Amino acid sequence: MTDDLPPHPALLPVGFTDLLPPDAEAEARLTETLTARFGAHGYQRVKPPLVEFESTLFAGSGAAVAEQTFRFMDPESQRMMGLRADTTPQIARIATTRLAAAPRPLRLAYAGQCLLVRGSHLAPERQVAQAGIELIGPDLPEADAEIIIAAAAALEAAGVASISIDLTMPPLIPALLGDTAGQPALVRALDRKDTAAIAALGGALAPTLRALLEAAGPAEPGMAALAAIALPDAVRGLADRLAATIAAIRHRAPALRLTIDPVEFRGYRYHTGVAVTIFAPGRQAELGRGGRYLCDNGESATGITLYPDTILKVAPRPAARPRLFLPAGTPPSVAQACRDQQFATIAGLLPVADDITEAKRLLCTHVWRDDHAVALQGF
Amino acid sequence: MTALTPHHPAPDAISTPLVLALPKGRILAECAPLLTRAGIVPETDYTDENSRRLRFHTSAPDLDVIRVRSFDVATFVAFGAADIGICGGDVLMEFDYPEIYAPLDLGIGACRIAVAEPADEAGTTDFTRLSRVRVASKYPNTTRRHFAARGIQAEIVALNGAMELAPGLGLSRLIVDLVQTGSTLVANGLVETEVIAHVTSRLIVNRTALKTRPEAISGWIARFRAALAAP
Repeated sequence: MTDDLPPHPALLPVGFTDLLPPDAEAEARLTETLTARFGAHGYQRVKPPLVEFESTLFAGSGAAVAEQTFRFMDPESQRMMGLRADTTPQIARIATTRLAAAPRPLRLAYAGQCLLVRGSHLAPERQVAQAGIELIGPDLPEADAEIIIAAAAALEAAGVASISIDLTMPPLIPALLGDTAGQPALVRALDRKDTAAIAALGGALAPTLRALLEAAGPAEPGMAALAAIALPDAVRGLADRLAATIAAIRHRAPALRLTIDPVEFRGYRYHTGVAVTIFAPGRQAELGRGGRYLCDNGESATGITLYPDTILKVAPRPAARPRLFLPAGTPPSVAQACRDQQFATIAGLLPVADDITEAKRLLCTHVWRDDHAVALQGF
Repeated sequence: MTALTPHHPAPDAISTPLVLALPKGRILAECAPLLTRAGIVPETDYTDENSRRLRFHTSAPDLDVIRVRSFDVATFVAFGAADIGICGGDVLMEFDYPEIYAPLDLGIGACRIAVAEPADEAGTTDFTRLSRVRVASKYPNTTRRHFAARGIQAEIVALNGAMELAPGLGLSRLIVDLVQTGSTLVANGLVETEVIAHVTSRLIVNRTALKTRPEAISGWIARFRAALAAP
């Protein structure tokens, strides 16, 4: 091509975004709100590096994100490294190595950025913020419930008006089918809730699968329907565990909006127990996701990751800090006093002819005049 | 918001009507009796293909319908712009959105996605020897998958219509297209050599809508199921 235009300096690679004022501050404050709430629930912050060896990054539950991970060779060690596409495997690694001797249950929190090799049609972003918690140790319904309650509390603190929590048991369908690899068409039909194909391909299990499909929905009627379905013992055990988790959640948070979906098994390769997705009702938004998994050494853990980028779109914006123009020469003590009153102070560097015009030009809401902060609205 | 999706104050979305996306053209007419039996009577100018309106209220106060191109039904539903839709199995195969559930086979709009080639060349090529083949299609993903499963790279010539002209004019060796009766193929000197899939129209629902408004969505699925069972 001879007519290629030089790349525009504002153009970013696909899936990347500059956050500008006031969004960047809103995002930072939101992340702070979420992690503060996690801290209040006893989850202590850890900070894994952006990059680590792929052999540790993809161990255990990390295998699921291998294909989404940017990889490159470490010139130092000549080993392959990966730039994290998910933080959970890193927390699991820390828990089972450096913090192997820390008392269980171990409660850890994190917040940071992840990088994906490719976005999807629906979610093109390739840099994704995560803020989450992991509860490493006992495999108990109370533990499953705790992380969900803590996440709900964090979202409430962020001002998210309503959430809907979908609970699934990813190992249930594989346990019922026995062999999933040998029945790709049926697995696919179940994933897409294609009742016609399930009836055709399900064989002797078709009526059970159909009943399980119909049990999906609000938690209480759904669990009642699930209880009435005849299931093999191993599968019944999984269903009972889902019921126990719901009971544990209800005990602590009776008003949460819960749904179940016993047929969903997306992510079953790494989720070994109850999994959860948090939606904002009426919005095309997944606010968070998580579930039970096994660390690389076989220790059970559960965790939940919230997505601040998405939450930012549904949470109300905090009131912007008022901006006060201080004409050049305003004493530093005045400036400090104004900042103490939550003003953002915008200092004039040189005297100007008209302070009000200058304050408006700099998008201030107030101007310092006659020893007072005066709102600009009247001018 | 500087990100791609604009920030909206949270609407009271639980009480807003559900949106049903319907495909224009062939399937629209076939849908009509089914909609009536499901208790959905759209406003009068809905059936008027010349009407410029695209969104219509219906006799059900909690349901609006939109009329879009058949390929776009899947996109509207995948992104949640519509909560439910009626969509050809060919479109679902092509886009393969994980955000779409397809709970009901409506049994209407039956046809097949098929491979066709010029009648005078049919049977002359040993496809097992090919590394790649050029195919004209509006189903690039379906076509690529189909040939990849046979160890062949399909080089897609993306066309939106008049596919049948492509082999005769040297644009491609084969075509992959939706075939209902096969008469268009015959009229253009082509012969169907392989069926990739038989398809019918599906009732589809958005995954998030089903998870967050399960009562309303399940209610509509049940009404469509009952409408299918009715004589």
